[in-house]
Amino acid sequence: MNLFENIRLALEGLRANKMRALLTMLGIIIGIASVMAISTLGSAMTGSVSSTMDKIGGKNIMVSLTPKNYDTQSTLQPEDYITQEELDGFKETHADQIKAISLSTGMGSGQLNSGYIHKDVSITGASTDYSLVNNVNMVQGRFISNRDMESSRNVIIIDTTLRNKMVGINGDPIGMDVSVETKTTTETYTIIGVYEKLVIDNPLFNMGDDTRVECFIPITTAMSLNSGSAATPPGYENFTIMATADTDSASFAAITKDYFSKKMGALSDYTVDVQSMEAMVSEATTMLSTLSLGISVIAGISLLVGGIGVMNIMLVSVTERTKEIGIRKALGARNSAIRSQFIIEAIIICLIGGLIGVALGAGLGSLGSTLLKFPTTPPLVPMIIALCFSMAIGVFFGYYPANKAAKLNPIDALRYE
Amino acid sequence: MKGIVKTYYLGTPNELEILHGIDLDVYDGEFLSIVGASGSGKSTLMNILGALDRPTSGRFFLDHLPMEDVKDEGLSKIRNKKIGFVFQNFNLIPRSSALSNVALPMLYGGKSRSERNLRAKELLKLVGMEDRSHHRPNELSGGQKQRVAIARSMANDPAIILADEPTGALDTHTGRMVMDIFHRLHQEQGKTIILITHNNELALETQRTIKLLDGAIIENRMNGKNQLEGCYESF
Repeated sequence: MNLFENIRLALEGLRANKMRALLTMLGIIIGIASVMAISTLGSAMTGSVSSTMDKIGGKNIMVSLTPKNYDTQSTLQPEDYITQEELDGFKETHADQIKAISLSTGMGSGQLNSGYIHKDVSITGASTDYSLVNNVNMVQGRFISNRDMESSRNVIIIDTTLRNKMVGINGDPIGMDVSVETKTTTETYTIIGVYEKLVIDNPLFNMGDDTRVECFIPITTAMSLNSGSAATPPGYENFTIMATADTDSASFAAITKDYFSKKMGALSDYTVDVQSMEAMVSEATTMLSTLSLGISVIAGISLLVGGIGVMNIMLVSVTERTKEIGIRKALGARNSAIRSQFIIEAIIICLIGGLIGVALGAGLGSLGSTLLKFPTTPPLVPMIIALCFSMAIGVFFGYYPANKAAKLNPIDALRYE
Repeated sequence: MKGIVKTYYLGTPNELEILHGIDLDVYDGEFLSIVGASGSGKSTLMNILGALDRPTSGRFFLDHLPMEDVKDEGLSKIRNKKIGFVFQNFNLIPRSSALSNVALPMLYGGKSRSERNLRAKELLKLVGMEDRSHHRPNELSGGQKQRVAIARSMANDPAIILADEPTGALDTHTGRMVMDIFHRLHQEQGKTIILITHNNELALETQRTIKLLDGAIIENRMNGKNQLEGCYESF
């Protein structure tokens, strides 16, 4: 009695009872489909998170001064600010861990005017390393240089959409003068570069629909403008450190916090807040895997219930086919032949259910990952595991009914009506 | 098969004795009939003869082989190779075609698929059912079903054919046809045939008749040569 014959017999049996077979498979289908969908979505999400992180800088450590208590009106004292000297000192101490330090300060929104073009823009003061740390992709001209910083030049970097509006896709705006009108000032800047806006097309990282064009000016220029008539602030409130590739950003974040916390007086209303991108990613990944685990447990329960359903239908089938079993035994079928016939039938039910489930789950998962804007091919390993698992369910829940069939007394079975 | 000698008592757990010590020899190539009223123990005797059941006590030799020494798996093998069953209610597998039904014992006998199909076709031809080989049992008449069943009993070329009321569910005409097939198998292929029936006329066609009453043999009669010859002439 070979395997192939048993499979043929099982398929024959299933064909005779299509509806029943499908209903029996349902539990397995749902269970396997949800496991597959989750693992496909999970891999899509993980891939999506890490690729986005690569884009915005996976090795970045964000440092900012934050109030200890948000309820009270607290203001930064001049001595709280982190000075350029302190930054330089830190960079020197940890030269082999720091790739770059980026400084930036928001100047709020304004209107950029160039000839008949008027466009709402937001102005960011940035340091030389900003483009490296934040992946600013320059397409024309250059980013802010050290000399621009030192002499607080009135230069500006615009983005491609603004360039297209001003001079067309193939135009060259470098050297053109534009005026920018903010609430407090109106300044004239010379365009030195054009960058392409980084598109983070990922619903998991919805940064808000900011349709305004961001333009960069040297941070030194920005700070002198910001302060208006008052003195220029003696340092920075926040900055971003880009660690080198082989630095453990979690421990380096701690070192950074220690270093800058020391300078903050105990009496200060402010504290140093340090966040590493890697820590945020691993937090998100942990959350995702916890979610996957939860859904897998539910899927496991569904598989258990499905397996019990298979066992139930196999018991019914054994009872229904008692006479057939008797005939087979009279014709010389050994107990083992009867047992393998029924076990294989159970395996086939579960395997077909598993196949449908895998197809359904992979389809749903792919659809979901496409909606997440991160299309993924369903992972192969969970697919194979799912199919093996469904076959194991067939063996486990098919054994008892099959054994019952195998142990039937041929005479009683033949007499059964 | 040289001889079966057996004496046995069959009891159920509440000690209902159905066969009270039966001694019987069946010879190779014999056409034997067993008659008796219902409840006389015919079927029980057949189950033991067919290696479906074991006697509670007593000994049963098949081909000199003491059956009490044979394990269950061995009994399956004996049923498969040495015995062909023909039942009153045909006992064909309803989902399978006539051809698959005939091929089934060969499947359990470990024959290859092509071998099975070839032999099954031959056997269906032998019983005149070759043009119905792909029909399912519910598409066949009673006589046709029984012919398929006989073809199936011949699948592994067994020494003995055990027929339990093979004509019981058939009308006279088709019953006649089935009996003719048995005679042919006996004559042409030298099969040992044990026919269980309560029809005395059919029993008279066989070489020897055993009559059972309440679990005991009350008559063991050789049937007259004339009658046998007469019946041979009829087909």
